[in-house]
Amino acid sequence: MSDGIKRRDFLKVAGATGVGAGMFGCSTENVERLIPYVVPPEEITPGVATWYATVCGECPSQCGMWVRTREGRAVKVEGNPNHPVSGGALCSRGHSTLQGLYNPDRVAQPLRRDGDEFTPIDWEEAEELLAERMGAAAGRTVLIHGRTGMSLTRLMEDFVSATGGRRVEYEALAEAPLREAARIAFGTDTVPSYDFEASQLTLSFGADFLETWLSPVEHGRGFARSSGADDGEGKGKFVFLGARLSLTGQNADEWVPIRPGSEGAVALAMAREIVNQGADAGPYAELLEAYDAESAAAAAGIPAETIRELAQAFSQAPSLAVGPGVAGQHRNATAANLATLVLNAVAGNVGRSVRLGRPDRAAPATGYGELQEAIQEMAAGEVQLAVVHQANPLYSLPEGAGFREAFEGVAFKVAVTTQMDETAAAADLVLPDRHALEAWGDSSPRPGIYAVQQPVMQPVPHFDSRAWGDVLLSVADRLGEALGEDTFHDYLRASWSEIHAQATDADGDFDSFWREALRRGLVEVPGEESDEPALQAPDRALTFDPPSFDGDEGDPVLVVYPSPRFGDGSLANRPWLQELPDPVSKIAWHSWLEVNPDRADAMGLRDGDLVQVRSEHGEVEVPVWIYPGIREDAVALAMGGGHESLGRWADGRGANPMKLLPAEVEQPSGGLVHLATRVSVEPTGDRRRLATIEGSSDQFDRPIAPAVQVDDLTGEERPEDYEPRIRELQALGGFGVVETDGLPEAFPLEGAQYGEYDPETTARWAMAIDLDKCTGCSACVTACQSENNIPWVGEDQILMGRDLHWIRMERYYEEVDASEPGPVDIRFLPMLCQHCGNAPCEPVCPVYAAYHTPDGINSQVYNRCVGTRYCANNCPYKVRVFNWYRFSEIPEPMNWQYNPDVTVRSEGVMEKCSFCVQRIRERENQATLEGRELHVDEVVPACQQSCPAEAIVFGNVRDPESRVAQISKSERTYRVMDVLINTQPAVSYLRKVTFHPVPDIHV
Amino acid sequence: MATVAETDRGAQTHPDVQSYGEVNEDVLQILGRPGKWWWFLFALSALGVGVFAFSWGYQLVYGLGVTGLNSPVGWGVYITTFVFWVGIAHSGTLISAILFLFRARWRQSIYRAAEAMTVFAVMTAGLFPLIHLGRAWHAYWLFPYPNERLLWPNFRSPLVWDVFAVTTYFTLSAIFFYLGSIPDLAAARDRAKGLWKRFYTFVALGWRGTDREWHHFGKAYLFLAALATPLVLSVHSVVSWDFAMAIVPGWHATIFAPYFVAGAIFSGVAMVITLSVPLRKIFGLEKYLTVRHFDAMAKLCLVTGLIVFWAYLVEFFMAWYSGEDPERRVFWNRVWGHYWWSTWIMLICNGFIPILLWFKRVRHSIAALFTVSLFINIGMWFERYTIIVTSLSHEFMPFAWNVYRPSLTEMGIILGSFAWFAFWFLLFIRVLPPVAISELKEVLPPPMRGKPKEEGGR
Repeated sequence: MSDGIKRRDFLKVAGATGVGAGMFGCSTENVERLIPYVVPPEEITPGVATWYATVCGECPSQCGMWVRTREGRAVKVEGNPNHPVSGGALCSRGHSTLQGLYNPDRVAQPLRRDGDEFTPIDWEEAEELLAERMGAAAGRTVLIHGRTGMSLTRLMEDFVSATGGRRVEYEALAEAPLREAARIAFGTDTVPSYDFEASQLTLSFGADFLETWLSPVEHGRGFARSSGADDGEGKGKFVFLGARLSLTGQNADEWVPIRPGSEGAVALAMAREIVNQGADAGPYAELLEAYDAESAAAAAGIPAETIRELAQAFSQAPSLAVGPGVAGQHRNATAANLATLVLNAVAGNVGRSVRLGRPDRAAPATGYGELQEAIQEMAAGEVQLAVVHQANPLYSLPEGAGFREAFEGVAFKVAVTTQMDETAAAADLVLPDRHALEAWGDSSPRPGIYAVQQPVMQPVPHFDSRAWGDVLLSVADRLGEALGEDTFHDYLRASWSEIHAQATDADGDFDSFWREALRRGLVEVPGEESDEPALQAPDRALTFDPPSFDGDEGDPVLVVYPSPRFGDGSLANRPWLQELPDPVSKIAWHSWLEVNPDRADAMGLRDGDLVQVRSEHGEVEVPVWIYPGIREDAVALAMGGGHESLGRWADGRGANPMKLLPAEVEQPSGGLVHLATRVSVEPTGDRRRLATIEGSSDQFDRPIAPAVQVDDLTGEERPEDYEPRIRELQALGGFGVVETDGLPEAFPLEGAQYGEYDPETTARWAMAIDLDKCTGCSACVTACQSENNIPWVGEDQILMGRDLHWIRMERYYEEVDASEPGPVDIRFLPMLCQHCGNAPCEPVCPVYAAYHTPDGINSQVYNRCVGTRYCANNCPYKVRVFNWYRFSEIPEPMNWQYNPDVTVRSEGVMEKCSFCVQRIRERENQATLEGRELHVDEVVPACQQSCPAEAIVFGNVRDPESRVAQISKSERTYRVMDVLINTQPAVSYLRKVTFHPVPDIHV
Repeated sequence: MATVAETDRGAQTHPDVQSYGEVNEDVLQILGRPGKWWWFLFALSALGVGVFAFSWGYQLVYGLGVTGLNSPVGWGVYITTFVFWVGIAHSGTLISAILFLFRARWRQSIYRAAEAMTVFAVMTAGLFPLIHLGRAWHAYWLFPYPNERLLWPNFRSPLVWDVFAVTTYFTLSAIFFYLGSIPDLAAARDRAKGLWKRFYTFVALGWRGTDREWHHFGKAYLFLAALATPLVLSVHSVVSWDFAMAIVPGWHATIFAPYFVAGAIFSGVAMVITLSVPLRKIFGLEKYLTVRHFDAMAKLCLVTGLIVFWAYLVEFFMAWYSGEDPERRVFWNRVWGHYWWSTWIMLICNGFIPILLWFKRVRHSIAALFTVSLFINIGMWFERYTIIVTSLSHEFMPFAWNVYRPSLTEMGIILGSFAWFAFWFLLFIRVLPPVAISELKEVLPPPMRGKPKEEGGR
């Protein structure tokens, strides 16, 4: 148990460091001008971070991103505040991009198939081979690729038109029915963008807009601004109509649990009610005649009165209806999408909250239909060569699609990918692609918004990767079809010269325009938005009735939804995401089948019972999780599990629901049908414990997460006598009495000030979290994990209750009823160290490892901690976590991500939220260097930085100018359990606001 | 036997002991003759110590993850067993010091074994604060040793109080134990041969049994007894404050100090009974450990057991009376929740079974008493388990609730700790006179001149 470093180890480390410095300091490969955002890129200053602006490549919404690099390594990603999509925030999947970059399971070099094995080859050979087979195929090729940047897409188009063949875009979570519906309704072949901030009554017909649908970070911000009680015009209301409460549904004020598939009928019936009151339905008036509230209510299994009331409210306020989303893509999905668009149109929302003139270009809208044609060609033997770039149809398509057989039948198959996924494992040639943080690219999520994706570091040297754009150019060159540029970087710049020409504020010089684009991360070209169109008559007949479902009538309908953590499943090999407790179920590392409690009772199922889920198309085995937020006639299973080949953290974990689905195309959109079948659920008799972090979802009326009814809000500041006076005894070692109201700014108490604790000159760092805004999305959890070097622990450790997260996103059910429409009240509480002014953990530590700094931080001195765990026992908030093993030893190069400003903890020590003390000190040092005081709200911890809902505010509560001091004055402010145990936390929470009456819990 | 002169007390205590010489003979023969059973038990306990060492080593190499501990339940069977052994230790001091001061003559034949038990129990208990540390190699940071960085332990922490309480207790009880043994070690010296002779000569510190030596011995013994007496109350009070000073519902109660002290004596006396029954049987000490002794110990058990049971009821009442949900729910959960079995073992073994001790027939039946004492030992271990684990697993934040299951490594260490204790105790009865020879003689009728049956007495 020697702590010291051996001489040999020392020399090894010293030698490697020297070599590393040489490699990265003087690399000559691909010398690019990497323009940092803040600091001039003269040279890397050791110890000083360099930031680069780029674009997140983890989902199609293409948030703008800042990447923090230290000594040439990317260590943290954050939202780019200038970017209209991310607005400075980021989701968990965005944060996990670093684990894609440094994933040890990345393909390390080009691989050629020899029989059942892959042989490593070099790039020259690989490109030569590809060119040769391309030539031989003579245009009988197909190029299948996922959603990617505009210039790369264009290059692929150029390539295909030069060399022949067919290009197919395939994204598993495509919004094809929505695009088709928008085309039918408005004649625009685009996906609209939605402005949740503009809505005072939002209806979601099953669209999970806070987690996966279209642009969740942007929606999260807009939604929080609309539904937050303190922002703008009062509190916006949100009603969720669907069979299953997703995370989005859990944020609703009301839940109308309609039957799966009845969205279209309900939306049209609402539209008709609004039309009956005098609104104009244009060409749809006739159609609406057929949909009255009674028949729609019967189809949906809800009272007709609910539809009428909703319609009434919907027509009065600025409102918004969205849906049905990816999980609701059933056989009549285009009609259902059309119905919500019509509903929006009759309520006057088009141009207000539904923006067709500013469409969502980033949304993948090319469905499965085109790929289906390509599969048929492959199966017919018409394809000699197939290339799959950053897509994994072998995993994400149902078996019935026949992709596997068709793909295997192609003479030469190429996979261009970063990870050895299922499709790559079936290929003949695997080309390691650059990760998005290593490669050039661009994006245009909206008209008039263009962002550059620039490499933020030299490629990770463990992987001999090459950018797909460069490979395409080189192969085209070898085929004698040169595409005009030598590198993709040149190609990109060339394609950006058009944008340069449009951008009016650019002053002629492309280089300076380009540099500014790199520095800022995006370019805005004004005037590209078009007018909002009016409703058009449908050009085809559509059925708005509930669709048919395969399987027996009595069986539950299977809801297949994109995972809030893995999306379509391509991110499943990232331990941060596997470890992140699912925002809904709180289960990590595995899949589960959501079953209504009544059905579970009837079947005798308990949490963790393994069941065989069977449809006409396949079967999977998965444990049951009993969930009151799902209708009795439905069960739900998330996408993203059940990988066979992706990497060490994904393979064999969970179940892939696509195996249960038919390979059916929704007409006319061409989207894959997800809500298609009933399934039989049979217990196998075995059990598999669920790795959940949930102890109890009942707060037992304790002063933990109280709420207040909106009518009870006065809009005034907290009255002076709001807090009970606490007689504080501990300040004087238990010998004296101090009167205090327990507010964070009261720290340090009279009698506890030892010299340095001078309230006049020192800050009191504090936080305020608005629970009315918090959506429980858990982006803060991953942001914190990324910033603070928090290791993952794995499923077996979670099962034992040893998760290491510094933020525990608690979720308490107050009111959930799947049997009839009514209020839904689910409370989220991000629980982190409360940095108590009167901290119970501090006096019990025998060695002063738990210690209070003069500026109010309850700090944990890792190298002093001996690991008695007394502090954790005595912490009423249970936010202290222990290093049971040496979790911080993680596979190379995953450890390149470690933040050099934060200690990597060894086994046997306690840790917890530090209020990102490294960020505080960094800003303080910077202020000292610049000879100034800290600006108000200058310090931003990782959780606040990442929060899409802007629910977290941090700052010096002693400064009356600071936002935290102002927000803490809200009448909704309380501190968790302070009234019970006199801890005097620095973290204030603002009560959730409900529309229904709630019990008054004394806080 | 009719001719033997009897003093009142001596006759009542040890009616079958004839002479001083017989005492020497009977006690010292234990040292010379290990026997098959001793060797068997000794081998078994040595094996157990091996298991203990391996388990701890395994834990040191891989980290505390090899235990079943988790985030809400940071303390488990290690601290349970720590408190258990500290509690066991208490009866030794009670019997040797407090009963000495109160002149309870029945203590003479059991106090040496009880004192040895104290020392070994503290030795065992003292291991657990080390074992349960995340970084055991830094355990010395809990001591206020001088260092150039001027770092001190936190004197507000009950764990630091623990360090002082346990080390003080060990030091004092070891000295007390050794001092009281000196005259007996001299007796063993006079009888031993070869290497043993040299050993006893050394440890007897040249004791010759002069008046002057007895005079000083008596004074020293009295002072140490007076010094040890408050420790009986203070050490376990401090241990109880590990819990009572914390705010954990189920721990945070003012009743804890007296409750724990009573529990300690309760469990300690039960352990003395558990140990002395086989000792008496194997080494034929029926003459010295009579039914009267067991009766007295049973009564002590009964009294302390009733206090403990009362404390249980007070805890439940106070939880209800507090009106606080966290407090109430912890106690509700104790009885009906995940750990119901542990709580019911505690209530039945410590609350109900000792009621049998009201009956004289039970107190006078060695077999019945032995059985009851075993139940009390088990019950008292589970009492600590219940207090520690059920409280931690159901604290203030419902979302963080979780349960704890001890791991194999922890079992190995717990069983190993019993073996460690047995190892020392077996060595003790082999090496040191397990019954206080000199003090026994104080309660025997003095040797009368010219009586026929006198052999070898001094």
